[in-house]
Amino acid sequence: MRAFRYHAALVAALLLPLGTITAAKKEPGPATVVKPKEFSLVRVNVTGQPYDYVRPWQKRAPFSKRALGTVLSQGRVLVTADLVANQNYVELERAESGEKSAANVVVVDYEANLALLEPTEKKFLDGLTPLQLALDTVVGDRLAAWQLESTGALVVTEGLVTTIQMTRYPADLAQFLTYRISISMQYRDNSYTVPLVKNNKLAGLLLRFDSRTQVLDAIPAPIIAHFLKDAETQHYRGFPSAGFGFFPTRDPQLRSFAGQTGKAAGVYVTSVEPNMPAAKAGMQVGDIVVAVGNNEIDQNGNYVDPLYGKIEFTNLITARAYPGDTMPIQIQRAGKPMQLNLALDHRDAKDYVIPPYNIDQPPLYYVLGGMIFQELSRQYLREWGANWQKDAPQRFVYKDRFQSELYPEGNRRVIVLTQVLPANATIGYDDLAYLTVTKVNGKEIKSLADLAEAVKQPLAGFIKIETEEDPKQIELEAAQVESEAAALQQNYGLPSLQRLE
Amino acid sequence: MRRVAFLLFTLLLLSGGQARAQQKSVPPPAPAGETPVLATPTPAAPQNPVPAPAVATRPNGKIQKSLVRITATEVEPDYKAPWNSGGIQRGVGAGFVIEGNRIMTNAHVVSNSRYLTVERDGDPNKYPATVLFVAHDCDLALLKVASPDFFKNMVPLSFGGIPELESVVSAYGYPLGGDRMSVTTGIVSRIDFQLYTHSSIDSHLTVQISAQINPGNSGGPVMQNAKVVGVAFQGYSGDVAQGVAYMIPTPVIHRFLEDIKDGHYDKYVDLGIVYTKLQNPAQRHFLGLKDDDLGVLVGTVIAAGPSAKAVQEGDVLLSIDDHPIASDATVELEGERVDMPEVVERKFKGDVVKLEILRDKKEVTVNIQLGSVWPYMYLAHGYDVRPRYVLYGGLLFQPLSLDLIDAYQPTDLRIRHYYDYFVNEQIYLEHPEVIILTNILPDPSNTYLGAYRTSIVDEINGQKIRTLNDLAKAFSQKADRFVVRMIGDGPPLVLDPKEVESARERIKTRYNVVSEQNLDEAPAKRLPNDQDKG
Repeated sequence: MRAFRYHAALVAALLLPLGTITAAKKEPGPATVVKPKEFSLVRVNVTGQPYDYVRPWQKRAPFSKRALGTVLSQGRVLVTADLVANQNYVELERAESGEKSAANVVVVDYEANLALLEPTEKKFLDGLTPLQLALDTVVGDRLAAWQLESTGALVVTEGLVTTIQMTRYPADLAQFLTYRISISMQYRDNSYTVPLVKNNKLAGLLLRFDSRTQVLDAIPAPIIAHFLKDAETQHYRGFPSAGFGFFPTRDPQLRSFAGQTGKAAGVYVTSVEPNMPAAKAGMQVGDIVVAVGNNEIDQNGNYVDPLYGKIEFTNLITARAYPGDTMPIQIQRAGKPMQLNLALDHRDAKDYVIPPYNIDQPPLYYVLGGMIFQELSRQYLREWGANWQKDAPQRFVYKDRFQSELYPEGNRRVIVLTQVLPANATIGYDDLAYLTVTKVNGKEIKSLADLAEAVKQPLAGFIKIETEEDPKQIELEAAQVESEAAALQQNYGLPSLQRLE
Repeated sequence: MRRVAFLLFTLLLLSGGQARAQQKSVPPPAPAGETPVLATPTPAAPQNPVPAPAVATRPNGKIQKSLVRITATEVEPDYKAPWNSGGIQRGVGAGFVIEGNRIMTNAHVVSNSRYLTVERDGDPNKYPATVLFVAHDCDLALLKVASPDFFKNMVPLSFGGIPELESVVSAYGYPLGGDRMSVTTGIVSRIDFQLYTHSSIDSHLTVQISAQINPGNSGGPVMQNAKVVGVAFQGYSGDVAQGVAYMIPTPVIHRFLEDIKDGHYDKYVDLGIVYTKLQNPAQRHFLGLKDDDLGVLVGTVIAAGPSAKAVQEGDVLLSIDDHPIASDATVELEGERVDMPEVVERKFKGDVVKLEILRDKKEVTVNIQLGSVWPYMYLAHGYDVRPRYVLYGGLLFQPLSLDLIDAYQPTDLRIRHYYDYFVNEQIYLEHPEVIILTNILPDPSNTYLGAYRTSIVDEINGQKIRTLNDLAKAFSQKADRFVVRMIGDGPPLVLDPKEVESARERIKTRYNVVSEQNLDEAPAKRLPNDQDKG
């Protein structure tokens, strides 16, 4: 029934001239001449310079991005975190006058892909009306993408919200609510961050756009609202997660195995991450999660949202709750109903054994006689390009994917020998690469600091490095490493032989 | 990507830590059908186009009297529908008569063959032939022909040594099919260890020649001064390299002929260790070595190999059968510097090799009785074996092997890891066969199980599944339900035997499943004996 109604609305919309669609929704139509300042947009110019994880002592060549920022209350400008990732310099530009001001990144969340900027000149945004949020977007709504011409004139393209679902954001950590919009948008020089507007209120921000299929995914206003609310607190915490994996219970055999009686519902818990809220609340593999908060979960893991209808229950945790909240979860364990109270928390990238992203942070490294040791991170693996999961060293990709299985104790790093710069001390070792360090001088290595510390205590004048893979052991002469360090540093132009924090 | 990793890994193991660039050499497949592929035959080139003043017109004599054209009808196993007999194809290769009325050719010419015929020059008949011995690890085979008429007037060829670099050799065969013998000449370009792509894990001595070799040359003799100096066997596809062809040199051929003297082929033997060169002075000092440029360092010692009890990780191998091992992993053998494995290459199953070892700075001597390392078999191509599988409730379970990977091209990281590190991380100790749920034949009884595809079976009802036979046995037991635990995080796969039973006939009929399991072929660790043909 609902679908039919949306369909009817769509047909009606298509028959109307573009400018009067909002009128069709009984809203006042926009003025014929659109002035960007009324619409609270500024240009954002960013110079970024990512760290080079393959040559961890240096940064890559700088690049520039041009985008649009949405002016919000309290003199702040909203953009995507992608835009300001690894930024060196951010500048705001008034669209109509070309006037510029430097800006600071106040809060950034790479998982939700959102960032707040603040101009260094307090009055820079004066005269621009802050945009309010439209939190009520549903499937079938039309949203307008706002872009600017080089003249500063507004370009408006309308699209239809076709789906609202949970998808993975670029950081690839958790599922977040996403609007999927069908829109025939053209790129402008500032298309990096494009606001999507409903009734002159901000409904979303462009997350990704496929120009071939003309499908745009947007970060929805409820996620933006969550981000803004958290940003008002003293310390931004981020989106909470529960820390368990699940599987649908559509298979009646699995339900019966799990001891589920009564009506078919809930999801089967396949994994419980150590030291995460679910584990702390006592959740176990094999539990069936039947309700989150007051919301019943169906066999596929969906609850019925008053706004969106059926949508994955993870939305209740990421978008509807905050770190520190207690989330009651109803489970069935061997058929018996139980309640677990999860003290929700945000899991920082640094809390992983192999961190999923390290943006804005210089990569740590340690050079020993020409051997480069680094922390294994997904940021390093991403250096192999868009197809890193296929092209990067497969052993490391495997370790990243199955890190909680391989390192269940957590609270450590995986230290790897990534390459060897040929030098006197490393003769015969030139081809060593992609080895996992287990011990140095007999001491277990769980961080780069461990390694730096262990190196200081040679065994009878030798530094012994043990590796998980063949050759299993590598030795260096401590005195030789020491005496050749300066020459090595100069020869390869290394600004420093180590960065430990 | 997986293949790159694997090839590098193999070369690393066999060449002592020096990962070489990936080589894409492929054995020239015998062309399907017997008609020449060339559309317009080029005019016959004048006899002896290569000006070679010192060489007589036919330096190798009348090779037609020794050359054999082999037609093999092969059945290619179907790993995706293993109950099918597989695709039937026909190929042409070459062979030559050697003493004892035997025909020598490549293993890949006759692999998976169901019917073989041989022809000879000037005789209109096709003679049925059978495989006497096949050695997949060095790509050689011997055939016999029942009809005594076949060998009448045939001249057996004898073997020479390793030809000198830059000396001229001639290759004979039936490139691109054709009924008439073809001759090409070239020079010896390089003598080196190379991967034998037929098994794809074995490396042996190989001679690179510049003579043109194409599909159909396979198994043909390469001659010099009327002696066989090699058997043409692999080359590159034209887009990779040209004028680069490989032949199996006589030391490898002699080893094969020696091995089969007792009536069966025992395969190459291996030490079953991973070693690295010891060229770093600090490392040498640490290990207590002198500045004498001797010794290689032992890394992984493969538990299923012959060195498991005698050699330890961290040992330094100083000599092998009294040949000092240089720090670049070479030894001097008959006045030539060769790679250390060459010493083992010349040995046979049961032979003993003496190793002098520096262990914790003390010298020890160990004697190792050589044998093959069975886990490597899973990494090699299998031939003349039918795929092993169990189909239960429409779920197809198959052991991991190179052929399985080639058939399914799985992208699953865990499967690739289990394959790449099956030997070096000794995964085989816990799972001698890695059993994968490779496919599901959809049926109402298994309609919710799609997500379990490509997972690796760990336990059934609490019993560890180490082999396919374990799995078949587990499913044959009486139980209310089977709880199949997979490796890694993930829900168990739960099956109701009653439901499976009621779906059996339905699935068999719907998918034309001839047989629900094949456990016949012994696990790879017993394959060496099964592969002997006599």
